[in-house]
Amino acid sequence: MTKQKKSSDDNLKGTLFATFGVGLVIIIVWVYCFDLFIGRF
Amino acid sequence: MEIHKYEKWWLVFGGGTLLVFLIVLGVSAFHGGTHPNNSKWTINYEKVDEIAPFDNPGVHKVEGKDWDYEVVLVAQAFAYTPMEIEIPVGSKVRFIATTKDVIHGLGIAGTNINLMLEPGYVSEKITTVDEVGEYTIVCNEYCGTGHALMYSTLKVVDPNDNSN
Repeated sequence: MTKQKKSSDDNLKGTLFATFGVGLVIIIVWVYCFDLFIGRF
Repeated sequence: MEIHKYEKWWLVFGGGTLLVFLIVLGVSAFHGGTHPNNSKWTINYEKVDEIAPFDNPGVHKVEGKDWDYEVVLVAQAFAYTPMEIEIPVGSKVRFIATTKDVIHGLGIAGTNINLMLEPGYVSEKITTVDEVGEYTIVCNEYCGTGHALMYSTLKVVDPNDNSN
């Protein structure tokens, strides 16, 4: 039972990194656009 | 209900990001004044030419106000009056604009100034022009066959620069 739970954790690691990756891309693009907005009059 | 450890991390990350975005939005809207026109200033669009300040469009230096210049712009199919605006860099400017006929836009390319001009309403925006340059004012609301030809120019100039 314990062994099965651990392998489930490992399987989700890729999903976590992938979603963090998408999140980071969104944040980087957002910050870039916001910086453009702040820099203009 | 059991939430997976990684799911908790993701919820904190997503929730935290959302919170930051909402705070930035709130500060921009309520403190920075980034919001649509309040539509409280109305005008008879058929008599725009007779009503102040639109009876005298152009750049006006003002005293005793929070801003240094007032720029009065009138839009009509398919032109702006005036065709060219010149303002010294660093001035605080109040843009005041309206339309004599249909809905027009007043977008100043490369800046954050982007107003919608609706018949019967006056739109305004106060900002400090802090970068020298020549900016094209474009109509960004489709107003008819001449829409693409409708433009004006904002020149932000350095009064101490005599190179031109």
